[in-house]
Amino acid sequence: MSYLEYTVKTVPSGIRKVLYLNWPLLLLLIAVASVGFLMLYSVAGGSFSPWVEPQMKRFALGLVAMFIVALVPIWFWRNMAAVAYLVSLALLLMVEFFGVTGMGAQRWIDLGFMRLQPSELAKVTLVMFLAAYYDWLPMKKVSHPFWVAVPLFLIMLPTFLVLTQPDLGTALLLVFGGGGLMFVAGVHWGYFAAVIASGVGLVVAVFQSRGTSWQLLKDYQYRRIDTFLDPAQDPLNAGYHITQAKIALGSGGWTGRGFMQGTQSRLNFLPEKHTDFIFTTLAEEFGFIGGISLLGLYALIIVFCVASALSNKDRFASLLTLGVALTFFLYFAVNMSMVMGLAPVVGVPLPLVSYGGSAMLVLMAAFGLVQSAHIHKPR
Amino acid sequence: MIRTPLRPLARVLEARAKGENPDAIERENLRLRHEEMRDRARSRAEGRLLVLGVLFVCAFTMVGARMGLLAASEPSEPRASAAGAEIEALRADIVDRQGRVLATNLETYSLYAQPPQMIDPEHAATELARIFPDLDRDRLIQDFTGTRKFLWIKRRLSPEQRQAVHDIGDPGLLFGPRDMRLYPNGRLAAHVLGGAGFGREGVHAAEVIGVAGVERQFDEQLRDPARASKPLELSLDLTIQAATEEVLLGGMRLLNAKGAAAVLMDVHTGEVISIASLPDFDPNDRPAPPTQGRPDDSPLFNRVVQGVYELGSTFKIFTVAQALELGMVTPDTIINTKSPMTWGRHRISDFRNYGPELTVSKVIEKSSNVGTARIAIEIGAERQRDFLGQLGLLETTKFEMVEARGGRPLLPPRWSELSTMTISYGHGISATPLHLAAAYATMVNGGTRVEPTLLKQDGPQFGARVISEKTSEQLRRMLRLTVSQGTASFGEVPGYAVGGKTGSADKPRIDGRGYETDKVLATFAATFPAHDPKYVLIVTLDEAVETSGSEPRRTAGWTAVPVAAEVIRRVAPLLGLRPEIEPAELTGITLTSN
Repeated sequence: MSYLEYTVKTVPSGIRKVLYLNWPLLLLLIAVASVGFLMLYSVAGGSFSPWVEPQMKRFALGLVAMFIVALVPIWFWRNMAAVAYLVSLALLLMVEFFGVTGMGAQRWIDLGFMRLQPSELAKVTLVMFLAAYYDWLPMKKVSHPFWVAVPLFLIMLPTFLVLTQPDLGTALLLVFGGGGLMFVAGVHWGYFAAVIASGVGLVVAVFQSRGTSWQLLKDYQYRRIDTFLDPAQDPLNAGYHITQAKIALGSGGWTGRGFMQGTQSRLNFLPEKHTDFIFTTLAEEFGFIGGISLLGLYALIIVFCVASALSNKDRFASLLTLGVALTFFLYFAVNMSMVMGLAPVVGVPLPLVSYGGSAMLVLMAAFGLVQSAHIHKPR
Repeated sequence: MIRTPLRPLARVLEARAKGENPDAIERENLRLRHEEMRDRARSRAEGRLLVLGVLFVCAFTMVGARMGLLAASEPSEPRASAAGAEIEALRADIVDRQGRVLATNLETYSLYAQPPQMIDPEHAATELARIFPDLDRDRLIQDFTGTRKFLWIKRRLSPEQRQAVHDIGDPGLLFGPRDMRLYPNGRLAAHVLGGAGFGREGVHAAEVIGVAGVERQFDEQLRDPARASKPLELSLDLTIQAATEEVLLGGMRLLNAKGAAAVLMDVHTGEVISIASLPDFDPNDRPAPPTQGRPDDSPLFNRVVQGVYELGSTFKIFTVAQALELGMVTPDTIINTKSPMTWGRHRISDFRNYGPELTVSKVIEKSSNVGTARIAIEIGAERQRDFLGQLGLLETTKFEMVEARGGRPLLPPRWSELSTMTISYGHGISATPLHLAAAYATMVNGGTRVEPTLLKQDGPQFGARVISEKTSEQLRRMLRLTVSQGTASFGEVPGYAVGGKTGSADKPRIDGRGYETDKVLATFAATFPAHDPKYVLIVTLDEAVETSGSEPRRTAGWTAVPVAAEVIRRVAPLLGLRPEIEPAELTGITLTSN
């Protein structure tokens, strides 16, 4: 469907667009971000510095970005998808050569006012470009091997660049996000079944090969897997994060120790307590109830996105909304699983709550796209 | 897929017949087909979303369930399962009664190698052999290049050695922390402290376990992590211990003794203030148990606690005490001391002939075997054994050292009348100097039983009464007279009113037949100040000889007594006792006229 099919009358224009915003979604985003402010305040020992203040500024900036993105018609973004994708690829390449090295990986580009993490940007631009691709591709060609290979290549390109940084977490998110979008777009399920089957086969082969002459991984890589499966084996080194996080969750119990009362995180037992592992602080201070409430907020965000996508007849808008929702879901699902020892430790922040600029801005811009799709849907 | 043709001929003809535009049919059919396709795409998309939705729900449920599971779990501190990581190396300090450190821990390092990580095994081996001359270079190269993945090289390193090994710079040479037990005072109180060694060893820690003395006795308490911050407080006083050992060593050398022992004990609290056994050893480097020679001559042997000896005439006071307590005699009762005295085939004689009769007091003063034996016969075997039992001389002491369990007194197999007589003057029964100290404490402290202890006490012990206050008073007077004008005259220390009783016991022959003629175990059991005793001091010298005279003198009066006097002279001020002018004794006036 091209934008020419929209009748001007059914799409709000000018300042009236604001009335057509997906307000519940916006409120949910603000609620989640507020939880983040609260937790950062607590982690800093009851202080606005060093984390809450910059985080609030970034959120404000993110809100502005979201509004701007939301007010721009969705068809503009569809036309820009390829450009955005190429820009993010270029940034990833730049990181490769001019990036700032931090925490043992080259991930940032210094923009002067902030450090940009292009891999965060790539997550959204990839989803955007794939949505545009499937919007352009006639339905009957979707499962054709060649037209399946093209998006695979589109996914693999940024994934490879991210992997060399190295950043396993983001790479996984890219693969799962892109794959998920392909699934929603209607690619024949046989492809997915094949991928899953070979994945399972690979895992089995990796474990079977251990100790044999055709061993597939290095010894230390096996040890890491062992540590993931049983962190108690090595609680002081590789298992440290997980063990301490589990203690925090356990000590929080059902109702938590109370705001600013968490010992595990306040006493600096927890590394990365203000970024990737901030959920442990929440779980310790507000217990199971606090944790499940945050999970509920996230679930509601997903539900509103999916509802918006279902009611949208425009294929690009609908796919984009679903893609953003999927990426968002992967963020917090992977982070929470990691904190709770269900997944290996990969650096994935808790969306909108963890301290960090790039992820926050990019996510807000992505929700801007969702809002734009919502505002400009054919009525 | 069955396609309906866009322009079915029948309908076109029909439309033409009706005069309608047949193109509308094509448009209509195209629209229907598009709608059909869109609906199909839509239903497929919705199906896909359903699958995804199910996955979402699964993920949410899993995360939520896990959260609940963790919230319900008891938080527990992690414990490493790596070998050796559970070893607790922390060990409490041991201090004396003033809080001065007797034993503490020193962090040192052990050296081990992981050959697979070595860069240049040959160089490392050469350097190691240079730093530690006791290591063999070829052997090391063999170990480093072989199949071994781990080997210990040195259990303890000095900081200099560690630096030197560090400078080799080989990543395959690694250090593990080792808490080492350190006795900063060296040989002081060696037997009491005993020593410590490594138990289970891991790379990151090694267990320190006590091997002897209080280290072993209180091993569990010292290793208890909950009590690690609270040191073990002994009753010993470091300065007094040092003075005792120094004087004892000097005396032992001067008198050519092969061994010596001393114990200073508070008569009311039972606290042992100093305890020395010579020869001694350095607990920092505890020697291996001897494989030859008599074990009781080894430096590791604690003569005070483990050594059971016939303590000779020092036992006479017990006989007299019992006779006084039973009301059989008074200090002035005349006793027949005609020497020698015959009993069946046996003869009992005195060291010198003290004349046909002596008062009870003089029997102690002059140390008459005959007089004591006669009193003992009157008392009888049964009552004697009972009395010695009350004094704790028939069983091991409850002293807080593992070695104390080895100090079991030797008793005659049959307590005959002859045994009764010999036991009355300290032969035919063997006990440790510690037993003697405790029994003497009872004699002079007013008559109550005292159990010797090595732990700091808060107040006096209130043991069972053995003799009356009055008897104790009479005994103190006799002991004082023994020093002021009897066999222990060298024991006089001006101002401190020493009282005591000597004992020169012929040593039993090693083959068990009778006694040696020229080997004596000389003992002096002293108490001071005699009018209100606070301490007892037992000094025992093994085979001491005083050679300043024309013939060698071996009796305690010449050997143990002057050594004990010197000890008292040195430690009495340290104990906080002020020199006093002795209250004049009524009997003293008459005695000077003698």
